[in-house]
Amino acid sequence: MSATLPDFELIRPATLAAAIAALQEAEAPRLCAGGTDLIVNMRHGLSPAATLIDITAIDELAGIVRQGEGLHIGAATRLCELEEDDTLARAYPAVAEAVRTIAGPAHRQAATLGGNLCLDTRCLYYNQSDWWRRANDFCLKYGGDVCRVAPSGKRCRAAFSGDLAPALMVHGGEIVIAGGEGLRRLPVQDFYREDGADHLALEKGEIVTGVYLPPPAGLSAYRKLRLRGAIDFPLAGVAISCARREDGWHFAIALTGTNSCPVMVEMPPLAPDEDAAAYFRTLGRQVQKKASPQRTTAIAPHYRRLGVAAMAVRLARDLWQAA
Amino acid sequence: MSARRAVAGQPSPLVDGIEKVTGEAVYTADLDTATCLSGRILRSPVSHGRILRLDVSRARALDGVEAVVTGEDCPRSYGVIPIAMNEYPLAREKVRYRGEPVAAVAARDARTAERALALITLEIEELPACYTSADARAAGAPLLHEDRPGNIEREVHHEFGDVAAGFARADLVREERFRCAEVNHAQMEPHAALAEYDAERDRLTLHSVTQVPYYVHLMLARCLDMDTSRIRVVKPFVGGGFGARTETLNFEIIAALLARATGGRVMMRLSREETFITHRGRPESEVLMRIGIGRDGRLCAVHCEVTQRGGAYAGYGIVSILYAGALLHGLYDIPAVRYDGWRVYTNLPPCGAMRGHGTVNVRHAFECLLDRMARELGLDPFAVRRANLLRAPTRSLNDLMINSYGLKECLDRVEKASGWRQRRGRLGPGRGLGMACSHYVSGAAKPVHWTGEPHAVVNLKLDFDGGITALTGASDIGQGSTTMVALAAAEVLGVDPGRIRVVVNDSVITPKDNGSYSSRVTFMVGNATIEAAKRLRAILIAAAAAKLDADPGDIECAGETFSVQGGEQSALSFAEVVRAALADEGTITVKGTFTCPPEAQGGRHRGGAVGSTMGFSYAAQVVEVAVDADTGRITVEKVWAALDCGYAINPLAVEGQIEGSVWMGMGQALSEETRYLDGLPVHASMLNYGVPSMAESPDIEVHIVESVDPLGPFGAKEAGEGALSGFPPALANAVADAIGLDMNVLPLTPDRVLDALIKARRAARRKEAS
Repeated sequence: MSATLPDFELIRPATLAAAIAALQEAEAPRLCAGGTDLIVNMRHGLSPAATLIDITAIDELAGIVRQGEGLHIGAATRLCELEEDDTLARAYPAVAEAVRTIAGPAHRQAATLGGNLCLDTRCLYYNQSDWWRRANDFCLKYGGDVCRVAPSGKRCRAAFSGDLAPALMVHGGEIVIAGGEGLRRLPVQDFYREDGADHLALEKGEIVTGVYLPPPAGLSAYRKLRLRGAIDFPLAGVAISCARREDGWHFAIALTGTNSCPVMVEMPPLAPDEDAAAYFRTLGRQVQKKASPQRTTAIAPHYRRLGVAAMAVRLARDLWQAA
Repeated sequence: MSARRAVAGQPSPLVDGIEKVTGEAVYTADLDTATCLSGRILRSPVSHGRILRLDVSRARALDGVEAVVTGEDCPRSYGVIPIAMNEYPLAREKVRYRGEPVAAVAARDARTAERALALITLEIEELPACYTSADARAAGAPLLHEDRPGNIEREVHHEFGDVAAGFARADLVREERFRCAEVNHAQMEPHAALAEYDAERDRLTLHSVTQVPYYVHLMLARCLDMDTSRIRVVKPFVGGGFGARTETLNFEIIAALLARATGGRVMMRLSREETFITHRGRPESEVLMRIGIGRDGRLCAVHCEVTQRGGAYAGYGIVSILYAGALLHGLYDIPAVRYDGWRVYTNLPPCGAMRGHGTVNVRHAFECLLDRMARELGLDPFAVRRANLLRAPTRSLNDLMINSYGLKECLDRVEKASGWRQRRGRLGPGRGLGMACSHYVSGAAKPVHWTGEPHAVVNLKLDFDGGITALTGASDIGQGSTTMVALAAAEVLGVDPGRIRVVVNDSVITPKDNGSYSSRVTFMVGNATIEAAKRLRAILIAAAAAKLDADPGDIECAGETFSVQGGEQSALSFAEVVRAALADEGTITVKGTFTCPPEAQGGRHRGGAVGSTMGFSYAAQVVEVAVDADTGRITVEKVWAALDCGYAINPLAVEGQIEGSVWMGMGQALSEETRYLDGLPVHASMLNYGVPSMAESPDIEVHIVESVDPLGPFGAKEAGEGALSGFPPALANAVADAIGLDMNVLPLTPDRVLDALIKARRAARRKEAS
């Protein structure tokens, strides 16, 4: 029932190097930017940290800059800044749309790109108070050894619930990571693992510094399934981009909220002479196949699977018609 | 609207609104905590069990801990209904729901208090638990309370008129079973209480978030075994109630127990999760509704069975299950009504009163089924309601008094405003219009603690400064009662409302008031205010008459000026008259009271007091929806709501109350529900409990209808609840109109709608194939 924050030391380095050094040297460190996810979890007795490293004073992590024909967005860029960026809205509409669906306006004033990408996975057995989880003998993700969602399974099924990752994925986004060894870049989808208790491919001492978006190619959009039109995490979300080339329409499809990591759904291009209705039916089936929602939300997994497939089909068709 | 008065009848911003919008308002949790100890509660981790061992010695020994209390410290039960007080502030012998308070700690800070809770040893022998009404009523089910066989808190069987003959005479009889999920008030302000005990004088002061300071006062005296005169209860600003706080709550008594144990000040702030667990929301209800009507749409008979899953303790349960039957009456002219109700104990947080107490789920079932029957008979939904209107003044079958009745005008207004006749059936695929009616009491004419005293008392004080202080125990919980008192007094006295300050809710200063529940305040406190103001006015007029050497009957008083009829030269200012009035006796204090007459207090049948009232508000509303057939998501496009509130003393507040009612009904209809996993709440946060966000909030077009009740203050009746229970059925009827599906469940979440759509498509395919 705890609502008090545990003790921790807060440091606010001014440079990336200092932040990396702190990550490697401090006792039980965690990075913190807007804190809209982390602080709530800490109040619930989750995410224990002896040191919080606030990265919002690091200039290298802030802002949106052109890189050639592409775009680099710093990890500490606040969501409200993304929301107001014209280039993003014009060239990467799925990203701009995804931003606007995250939480509520007040959250977006504080929350950051890096925070949304590194968002902890969510589950109704996990995002509860200490009293609640104790009364339920804890779970595999934190403090226990059984997954309450799939007790016979070996891994945690908590759902990845970030809205931005799929939108960046369909635009071929790359995550830029800094660590003791220098910088490395990963396609966004390779940043995640299908394990709710360990879903980020981030080594000790590493920081996500930002995202690189290659030059835009085609239209894109993001749709989110949720109970309310604001605040809620996605029950499921789908981002799609559609580019017209000589051999037909190329779709990139990515899902969130359905698995422990965001997932791409592979589809061959839609050829100009192909039966479009049949193609979109197949697309819907592929989405249903790839989506693997579990009982991590109060709303039934069955609905999330059907809903995200229906949204994907509608969205793909709309983009195809517009492209 | 009827002829408007100069003050009472004009749209007025709430007199306590400035503090709220500037953030200056001090709520209970804001009260100075520099010298307070922090209170924390240890809660049961199991749903049902016998306490084998509770050892608090290690917690007590922790540095910084000032007191630890357990069920041993309070052997007296409490509750809101005198015949059903079966709850202890801290569990004794048994625990009956997950989250029930077992022990509590007061320590120098919250962290220390939490550490102390972790040091308490609690051993419980777990017992089998019941989570549904059906499980609790099954043969051999574990008993929650030894004296309640079958886990039935109260059974109600009422029959008025010849029901069998009514059904026999009907051209169409239909029966449907509805299931409405449990909902919670989700008021913005989490629970909090500040208790202070003065050991030298044996006095206790409690500040709390309550809607009913008087009931809290009584229960503190009972549970702490103190004389009521030693207790002071203060209600600061309250951030919403909606019924969550219409009975004394465990944390209030626990805070007081801790304060007495420490001889100091204890601040008890509950988390949002604890606030949800304290609950007292609307129970999950199963409603079996059977209606018989003639081809002309006239109602012949109604039979309704209701089962309410009440949770672990009595609370308001008896009243809720009686209300559910009583409020079948009073809206339409129904010649025969049978009602069977069962209130059931289950191992879940206790239910209680919530806005629209008792009527909402029954009204939902009734209005949905009536709509479907109208469709079957080829009748328009408006026509079938118009065929069953009452004629005021009248008394309902169960002897409820009805003196004013504006339902017909409500129907006319929303039918026209929504373009019902032109637009219904022509909105295109996936869109629909639905409507429903509703009503609610203007206060319980017989309160739960019946003492024979007046239902409301208001004091007015006029002093040398020319300021008028109104003293009232009416609890403003955001609904605007403080403003109502100021407007009513200013209207009668003919003064600027700014001259009146309203002092509220401090038991050592303000007169006793039963509290803010059952929409009683405007009717009862409003009338008491008018009476007090008339007395003061008479004193002022007498003083003016003496000074002007005129007959009091010839004195006119308006706009803070007193004059002899037609004689403007001799006019006296308000200040001059006050000086004259005070000259003889000094400070003037007058009192006004209001008592509900016996004929308003309900029938003579058992439970007949519940539902009894001075007058009903009436409402009709039309809801327009769009349904997404792919995702099952319902969007409310627009709502037209008309409410007969008798007379709008403050039209601005009335409008807000109607919008709030509609909006709260929308939450219950679309997305709100509590969910438990083996008794553990998974809804207990503002993230998981789906109150609608601004994104779902539709345009609500409000129409105020004024039937001018002969007994209401300036003709007013209630305005804060009546429009709520019409929303869920109007929405369900609109959904039926949009996608051709009748659904018997609340809330209509997208997963439920999609499931129903898929089932219907399958059925259609099967039908096509065969």
